[in-house]
Amino acid sequence: MPAPAPKEPFAQNDPRALIRWARRYAKSRTISFLVQWVFIAIMVTVVASAGYFTNQAYSKNSSGVLFYGSVATMFVAIITLAWFSLSGRGGDVIWAITRRLYGREGHVEYSEGDPTGRMPLWIMAASGGLIIYHLVGALLVTFNYLYMKNMMPFSAAYMVPFLFAIIINQRLGFWAYLWPILYGIHAILLLAGLPIRFGGQWQLMNMVVPVLGYGFIAILTGHFYSRFALRQLKRLARDGLPPGADTDGDDEEGP
Amino acid sequence: MSGDLDRLIHEPARLRILTILSGVDVGDFNFLLNTLGLTKGNLSSHMDKLDKAGYVTVSKTFNGRVPHTDFRITAEGREALAEYWSALDEIRQLQDSPPAEE
Repeated sequence: MPAPAPKEPFAQNDPRALIRWARRYAKSRTISFLVQWVFIAIMVTVVASAGYFTNQAYSKNSSGVLFYGSVATMFVAIITLAWFSLSGRGGDVIWAITRRLYGREGHVEYSEGDPTGRMPLWIMAASGGLIIYHLVGALLVTFNYLYMKNMMPFSAAYMVPFLFAIIINQRLGFWAYLWPILYGIHAILLLAGLPIRFGGQWQLMNMVVPVLGYGFIAILTGHFYSRFALRQLKRLARDGLPPGADTDGDDEEGP
Repeated sequence: MSGDLDRLIHEPARLRILTILSGVDVGDFNFLLNTLGLTKGNLSSHMDKLDKAGYVTVSKTFNGRVPHTDFRITAEGREALAEYWSALDEIRQLQDSPPAEE
């Protein structure tokens, strides 16, 4: 396990401050989340579109091909999403893309919790529950038991505590809290009747934009902070070291 | 004075490497290279010395055909680093304290 962060107020150039900046940098590297976000964005768009067409086909009594086709598409997208989220193969794909995107920056991890990074079983179960919950919500909307305008607050009732639980369990950086906080505030504002919703044929965006938009804001915030943390880390690490030094320093140690 | 200090850790680059690794679970070769701005040969040489002293563990894998090297600080390395800082702080305190009046 890593050492606890030093509490003493070290001088600005004390190398011990490296510990703090190395951790801040490691905890705010969000490209792996961005990769997941892109995949989830695609899947959510597919599910939302399929839900919309299912609803259209059902309410207008149009062709069965559109109805069954949309339902089948929705199921395939949800199963793909579940596979990607829960299987080891999905993790491997994220890992490979992330490593490529970080390139020369290399790899560093700081978990503060389980150093193996394994997801507890309850998180996997809750992730499955999240998918089922939203599937139920989509079906309720489809069969007019739930107004589309209430789908977002319905979603927030599960998403907000779920995201908080994951963030706390995985000890993610401060940036991660932005997602559930903004999502929850949005749901409250919607229930309060603020005119912050899409109307007409764009009603689906009331779900898609908050889910993805606030996630994206949180991920970008983390990424920008990681740039700052890396700059601080490099400044401290290189302070007093000859740039590109090509000796191993033993000559300076003396006998 | 510096007789109490671990000479292996006292070298500035190795001190920084070990300090950074003490703050994280794992860091790879490219991370340390990019952070410290050392040359590959220089970093390899430092890591080899830290590995031989038992202060870090090295795990080498392959991503396809590309070699990948991860480093972790060991309990021994962590203890040596803590002792180093403790000794250094003592020396600094001695230097900072005013000379005793006779």
